[in-house]
Amino acid sequence: MLPADEDLVLQYVEHGDEKAFRILIDRHQERVFGYLLGMVRDREVANDLFQDTFLKVISALSKKRGSYSVQGKFLGWVLRIARNGALDHLRARKKWKDVSSSQTEDDVDYWERLPDESPLVDVLLNRSEQSELLRECIEALPEEQREVLLLRHEADMTFREIADLTGCSINTELGRMRYALINLRRQLMAQHSKDLTEVAE
Amino acid sequence: MKNDKQDILLHLYGEADSESDLRSLLRNDDLKEEYTALSETKFRLDLRKRNRPDIAVIENIMAAARTGNERPGIHSRVDRGPLSRTSRLRKVLVPAIGIAAVVLFSIGVGLYSIRSTSSQNAPLASSAENDLVPPESLYRFVPSRQGSVTQTSSSDSELTWDDRSTLSNLNGRINTMKPSDLLDWGESALPLEMLPNSNRPGFQTAGSTRK
Repeated sequence: MLPADEDLVLQYVEHGDEKAFRILIDRHQERVFGYLLGMVRDREVANDLFQDTFLKVISALSKKRGSYSVQGKFLGWVLRIARNGALDHLRARKKWKDVSSSQTEDDVDYWERLPDESPLVDVLLNRSEQSELLRECIEALPEEQREVLLLRHEADMTFREIADLTGCSINTELGRMRYALINLRRQLMAQHSKDLTEVAE
Repeated sequence: MKNDKQDILLHLYGEADSESDLRSLLRNDDLKEEYTALSETKFRLDLRKRNRPDIAVIENIMAAARTGNERPGIHSRVDRGPLSRTSRLRKVLVPAIGIAAVVLFSIGVGLYSIRSTSSQNAPLASSAENDLVPPESLYRFVPSRQGSVTQTSSSDSELTWDDRSTLSNLNGRINTMKPSDLLDWGESALPLEMLPNSNRPGFQTAGSTRK
């Protein structure tokens, strides 16, 4: 049975067991980095933010050495630090739009007006092309929809955990997630329709 | 309907409460259609390749974890070279050393001048100490350029404007007017004859005649 995150944290904090810390990184690197990469859409920046996140984790744990108490989920804490770094970066680039959390499903935006009558795209595209297309479609999502999708699919957080992290209600996060999936599907359909037109020509 | 759409999303991600029944929700055609569409998109997302950070980033983090402190990594700021650091030190240190040298020189000159002045004025200083006389003897203070202050002896404690002869005369008058021991104030009157007049030349009995 694998040791729990909190046990590994205690091993590192109390005994300086760096192997325990390495296990923590190996266990969560894909979740944290996937979220950061999806948010900032730049691998170099995501690497920087990932490193800064874990350096802050080490610094915080070092201050608590000898008196560390397990207070919650390690991943949630790390993702909170990572999210703050990502939002700071996005704000610095002035690309972050603070959308009101009171958005309802009745709101109609660009993604709602995309056509929805195209067949599935995986008939024509191979897997790598699909993956690249999917990445582009995710990057094109509005920020708040992209974030909840990344937190759910990359960081494997539950909707309640996401709501705790972002400070929004779970209904808001569910609504955002629903719109994210719908808009993602419509983008894929639109791209597929475009590809079919180009092949026909 | 709104909560139903959120419920099918929770079912889709395995987070729904056991109370809510997916089958009953999917009896609605709209909900069934949406559930199918969301499931397809989720399936695509689940097939995505996961991303990992660069190995160098992990090594930097582990290096920091060994020391327990943050270490500058490959993406951190580049330090200035030693040449620029030396020139920066020079810019700061040279004026500071110059100012310190001027201050020390001034202090030294000041101390030297103070010592030389004090050695020349040593007698004056001692005389000045002699000038400090008690306040009660200030009436005989006679300042002198040579610093030799003279004070009258203890026998000459009277003020200079007192006159010894005057004092003696006054004393004599008081003794003259002093009554005899037999005649004190408040006693009953006595006839003059009873008073001894041998030693009081100014008094005569009523019956006596002047010669």
